[in-house]
Amino acid sequence: MTDERSECKPDAKRKRDSAQPQETLQPSRDVLEVKNLKTYFFTDEGIVKAVDDVSFRVPKGKTLGLVGESGCGKSITAMSITRLISPPGRIVGGEVLLNGRNLISLSEREMRQVRGAQISMIFQEPMTALNPVLTVGFQIAEAVSAHERVSKREAWARAVEAMKAVSIPDAEKRAKDYPHQLSGGMRQRIMIAMALVCHPALVIADEPTTALDVTIQAQILELLDSLRAQYQLSLILISHDLGVIAEVAETVAVMYAGKIVEIGAAMDVFHNPKHPYTQGLLRSVPRLGTSVEKRDRLYAIEGTVPNLLHLPGGCSFAPRCYKRTAECTLAEIPLERVAELHEVRCIHA
Amino acid sequence: MPDVAQPLLSVQHLKKYFPIHRGVFGRVAAHVKAVDDISFTINKGETFGLVGESGCGKTTAGRAILRLLEPDAGTIQFDGIDLLSLGKEQLRRKRRDMQIIFQDPYASLNPRMTIRTIVSEPFAIHHIARGSERNDRVADLLKTVGLDSSVMNRYPHEFSGGQRQRIGIARALALKPKLIVADEPVSALDVSIQAQIINLLADLQQQFGLTYLFISHAIPVIEHISTRIGVMYLGKLVEVGTSQQICTAPKHPYTQALLSAVPIPDPAARKERVVLRGDVPTPIDPPAGCRFHTRCPIAVDRCKIDEPPLRQIEDGRDAACHLV
Repeated sequence: MTDERSECKPDAKRKRDSAQPQETLQPSRDVLEVKNLKTYFFTDEGIVKAVDDVSFRVPKGKTLGLVGESGCGKSITAMSITRLISPPGRIVGGEVLLNGRNLISLSEREMRQVRGAQISMIFQEPMTALNPVLTVGFQIAEAVSAHERVSKREAWARAVEAMKAVSIPDAEKRAKDYPHQLSGGMRQRIMIAMALVCHPALVIADEPTTALDVTIQAQILELLDSLRAQYQLSLILISHDLGVIAEVAETVAVMYAGKIVEIGAAMDVFHNPKHPYTQGLLRSVPRLGTSVEKRDRLYAIEGTVPNLLHLPGGCSFAPRCYKRTAECTLAEIPLERVAELHEVRCIHA
Repeated sequence: MPDVAQPLLSVQHLKKYFPIHRGVFGRVAAHVKAVDDISFTINKGETFGLVGESGCGKTTAGRAILRLLEPDAGTIQFDGIDLLSLGKEQLRRKRRDMQIIFQDPYASLNPRMTIRTIVSEPFAIHHIARGSERNDRVADLLKTVGLDSSVMNRYPHEFSGGQRQRIGIARALALKPKLIVADEPVSALDVSIQAQIINLLADLQQQFGLTYLFISHAIPVIEHISTRIGVMYLGKLVEVGTSQQICTAPKHPYTQALLSAVPIPDPAARKERVVLRGDVPTPIDPPAGCRFHTRCPIAVDRCKIDEPPLRQIEDGRDAACHLV
C-alpha cells in the first residue's frame, strides 16, 4: 500500500538557496551561540570530558553541520543545548545563548517551555521516538497543546497542517495512523512535522537519515533543506556521514574526542581541510564514480578513537597523526584562525 | 588473478520465499518473495558486489547461497559441485571452503568465549590441528588480520568495533576458504575504521586468492572493492556489470536513481538529482510487470504488464528494463 504515496514531486531538483534571495541582503543574526560549553560525565572510573570547551554560532536560516565519529561528543553537544543531560553527566561550564537568553541559567520549568517550542529535536530512530500506541496526529497535536492554549480541534488541525508541510500525502487520513502503519521515511516525516509544529527558532537533527535507505535519505535531506529555507529555520545537523553534511551545511564543525578540531565554511573545510584529522576523514571515504582511476588502497587513519577516560595530553589526535611532533603533546592546542571564519586546532596547520 | 575467468560460483534462478502464517491454524496466507529468480556467476579471485536498499533480498541471497537458508528453487554450482544436492554431512565438509563475515561485530562473537576459542572453533568443528599447533595457527591468523597474538586470552567486550571485525575475519579465514560472503562487513564501523577493514579485505584477497561476495547498501564502498556489481530491487537483479559500468554509466533507471541519491562529500558537487517517488513496495505483493514501475521516472504502459527479463545490453552488462 505504500507504493501509491507520492512523497515528493517527481522531478524535485535540488537548487540550494535559490528560494531565498533575501538571505544574502543583510548579515543574519545568530539564533544560537554556544560559548565554551563543557559537559562532563563523572563516572566511577573517572571524569569523561564528553564536550570540552565547544563554541559555535548558528545564524538565522542557516545550517551548521556537526560531524565526527562515534563518541566524539556531537550528540552530547546537542543534548547539552536542550539540557537533556542526566547524571552522571553534568554541564560544568559555558553558555548556550538562544536569541541572547542563556539556557544554562534557566530553571527546569522554564527550560520545559523552551524545548519543543523554541528548540526541537529530530532523532535518528523515529520508531523509538514515537509512541506506538498513539496515533501520529495525536502525538503532533500533543506537542501543540503542551506549549499553546488551543482547543483540541485546533491542535489537531495544526497537526494535519504540519503533516502537509512535510509533504505527507493524504494528511487527514494518515494523521489517524499509528506509527507502525507508516514506513521509515514517513515516520521521519512525522518527527519533522512534530519538530516544526510550534515554529521553533532552532531545530537539531541528530543523525536524521542514518536509519533510512539512500533514496529515502535524499528525500528527507531535501525536505529539511527546503523547510529551512521556507521558515528561515536555524538547523544543526549532526551526522557521521561527510556526504550528508556536505549536502546541506553552510558551516561545518568537525569534532574529535570532545573538542572541535576544525570549523569553517563548508567549502573551506571540504576543499581546504587544515586539520590532519579532517584531511584523513575526507581521504578515507571511497568516492563514487572513481573506479576508473582507483584500484589502489584507501587512505586509512591508523589506530582507533581514544578512550575519553585516558586522553593523551595536548592534542588528542596526536597518537594517530602523521604530522605529530613533540610539541603536540606538551600543552593544550588552541583553536586558531587560519582564514576568515576558518579555525583549526593544530599547531602544524 | 587468472587470465581466463573461471567461475567459482554460479547461481541460477535462485528463489527464497518466506511463508507468512495467519489465523488459528497457521495457514500460509502469503509469501515474502525475498529472492525471486536471480542468476549470476562469480569468477575466481573476483569480488562481486551485491547492492540494494533494505529489504531488496541481498542478505537473503547471500545466506541462501551458503545454504544457511534453504533455497526454494534454483541451482548453486560452487567449485564444480551442485551445492543443493549435497547431504548434511557433505555440506558440512564443503562449508570449509565458504565462510561468512557478518555486519555486526558485537552480535557475531560469543561474549563468553575467549578470542582463542572463537578463532579456533572452525578447527574444532572440522577436527583440524590440536593443542599447540592449533594455538600457533590462531596466533598466525590474528597476526594476518593485524592483531597481536597476546589478545588470545581476552574476551570480545574488551575490543573496539574495528578490532572485533578483525577477529570475525580471522575466524572466517581459519579454514583457508575459497569464497567469503561478506555481509555489510563495514557498515557498523566508523569512517576511519571502515577504510582500515576495506584495505585489510583487499590485502587478504591478494594474499590468499580469495573470492568475495560483498553485500552492502553503501554504493561507494561496493564500487571501491568490487570487480563486478549486481544491483537488486525487490528480490530481483535489475542490473549487472563491471564496477565501472555500473558506477560511471548506469543504465537501469533504478541504478541511476540509487547512484544519484548518494550524498557526495563535496559541497561543490551538490547536484541535480533523480529523487524517487514513494517507498519500496512490499515484497509480499510486488507490483506486476516491472517491479520498479511504481517509482520509475520513465515507466511506460508496457512496464505495468510485461516483466522485463535480465538481458545483455552490451559487453559485460545485463539490465532488466524494456527501455534501455
